[in-house]
Amino acid sequence: MSVADTAPRPRKSNTWWLIAPGAIWMALFLVAPIALIVYVSFWTQTTFKIEPTLTLTSWKTFFGSDTYISSLFTTLRIWLIVLVTTFVIGYPTALFVGLFIKNKTLSTVLLVICVIPFWTSFLIRVLAWRPMLGKEGAINIILQKAGIISQPIEALLFTELSVIIGMTQIYVVFMVGPIAFMLGRIDPNIIEAARDLGAGFGRIFRKIIFPLSLPGVVVGAIFVSVMVLGEFATAAALSGRKVNLLGNIIVTQVGSLKWALASVVGVILTIVMGLVIAGFLRIVDLKREL
Amino acid sequence: MAEESAIFRLEGVTKTYGGVTALRDVSLSVSGNEYISLLGPSGSGKSTLLRVIAGFETPDRGRVFFNGRDITNIPAHERGIGFVFQNFALFPHLTVYDNVAFGLANGEKQVSRDEIDRRVREAIGLVGLAGMEGRGVHQISGGQKQRVALARTLVMAPSLVLLDEPLGALDANLRNRMRNELRSIRETLGVTFLHVTGSETEALAMGDRVVVLDRGRIAQFAKPDDVYAKPATPNVAHFLNRYNVFDGTLKDKTFTGPFGSLAVSATTPSDKSAYAVRYDRMQVEPDGSKGSGPAIPATFVASEYLGSSVMYFFETAEGKVIEVEHHLSLGAPKTYEPKSRYMLRWKPDDAIVFG
Repeated sequence: MSVADTAPRPRKSNTWWLIAPGAIWMALFLVAPIALIVYVSFWTQTTFKIEPTLTLTSWKTFFGSDTYISSLFTTLRIWLIVLVTTFVIGYPTALFVGLFIKNKTLSTVLLVICVIPFWTSFLIRVLAWRPMLGKEGAINIILQKAGIISQPIEALLFTELSVIIGMTQIYVVFMVGPIAFMLGRIDPNIIEAARDLGAGFGRIFRKIIFPLSLPGVVVGAIFVSVMVLGEFATAAALSGRKVNLLGNIIVTQVGSLKWALASVVGVILTIVMGLVIAGFLRIVDLKREL
Repeated sequence: MAEESAIFRLEGVTKTYGGVTALRDVSLSVSGNEYISLLGPSGSGKSTLLRVIAGFETPDRGRVFFNGRDITNIPAHERGIGFVFQNFALFPHLTVYDNVAFGLANGEKQVSRDEIDRRVREAIGLVGLAGMEGRGVHQISGGQKQRVALARTLVMAPSLVLLDEPLGALDANLRNRMRNELRSIRETLGVTFLHVTGSETEALAMGDRVVVLDRGRIAQFAKPDDVYAKPATPNVAHFLNRYNVFDGTLKDKTFTGPFGSLAVSATTPSDKSAYAVRYDRMQVEPDGSKGSGPAIPATFVASEYLGSSVMYFFETAEGKVIEVEHHLSLGAPKTYEPKSRYMLRWKPDDAIVFG
């Protein structure tokens, strides 16, 4: 008789419960809240109360209002711009930290330095841009003293520009980290081999370094996207209420106890994020790369 | 002149890393169409020497000549010297075909698409990987990766190929197969291979000539059988792993070592005195036997069966391990009693005396 026949066979029925802790956790803290938000978005909202009578009113309100639709597009526009700026600033930084600095200790120290701003609270980091960008702020004073401008630039603060500057500074490190990590993992021999085969730096970057760092770019882009799409504080603090993101609408609606409309915006935001993440994951097979 | 036919030549190359001298005053001349193996223990500077020739490192002093041209200050990719990395250094995101095509497609010289395709398929065929062009390099075995690395270098048509411990990452079985393969590929192309290895058997088996490197200096440069039979220094004898090397002093044609004083006839000039006897030239005799010739008493420790021969390990009173090899073609293996004393005897003519 073979060993397999005598060995006790594991029964399928008594192993399924091993996934129970994870399944219960996910059901309680992810599936249930999302289902609830979707459910509440169809509730009937009156001025002072909300009733579980199903209706499409809140959804019609959202899609019938120019303000809400335009805030959806503002959110998408700011997200795309911040994604580009964090990449444009973050990639060269990561290239320097992760690849050009050969000393691993030094590159770790530099990455830690990138994180130092996070030692202060989020609000302080955002509000600190006001004395920098204001009409009598640091940048205007320096430019005036240097004789580059005669009148202070007023467009710096309480505009979409200031929101973009603020968000770029806050989120760029989430782009730098994953990219620097992927670049640091590239075997230096591979680059030496490419050079020995006669390729110049431009070619090596395009054909070897960038493709190998792409998983880092995708992870960084997902981090930045998720955070920027759900943002409200930077826009509230630096735009002077001129820039309304979906996040700001949720805050306002919750503030006036309009739960149904807030849920509608929440559902839309969740769908947008889901699409964005799914899109990024199509670029690279992260399971294979990490 | 001999130097005219040399494909590459080193003149007094010295390289120091932060106070540690990796290469001192290395001079070497290698002709075309030759398989050279470069043997040295770790830290002997063999990888540094290879990197200096490749152009990844600049020597502190000395010149490097290649095809009659001084290339000391020419960057690596303009030298026309191929380099095969120890861990293969394949481009992980490219296919076998694209790995091999990389140099032709991305070099400074414009090569037409048709020519790239022809040369890449030729190189892939040469290393026996035809039909695998479309595979990713993570989908192939270690031996196949080694072939891709070789094809990627050979497709550039270098007249000198440097191989940095090319078989080190392969398992023993594959290593033996790749030895023959490397030699036959080289013979087909008629180029010079310079193969760095830490394995004495690999160095002797593969090289038409063997360079032995010892602490940054060339200790010997000769044919494999000469290196094996007549090591130039005590350290070379030691690296070969086939000699029992005894320390001692040589004075007035008399060598004094752990086995007493012996009159010696021929000596090999060396800055260090030593007495070397090959493993298979020692005889094991019962303790107290009165044979002729030099002998040393030792205690039997263990034996190791190697298929065609048996290795016996003995220990002298000073704690030095002596190895004795018994070829099975000379008779059945003998059994010795562990922890018992025996006399190990050899013929004076079989010994090499340095001093």
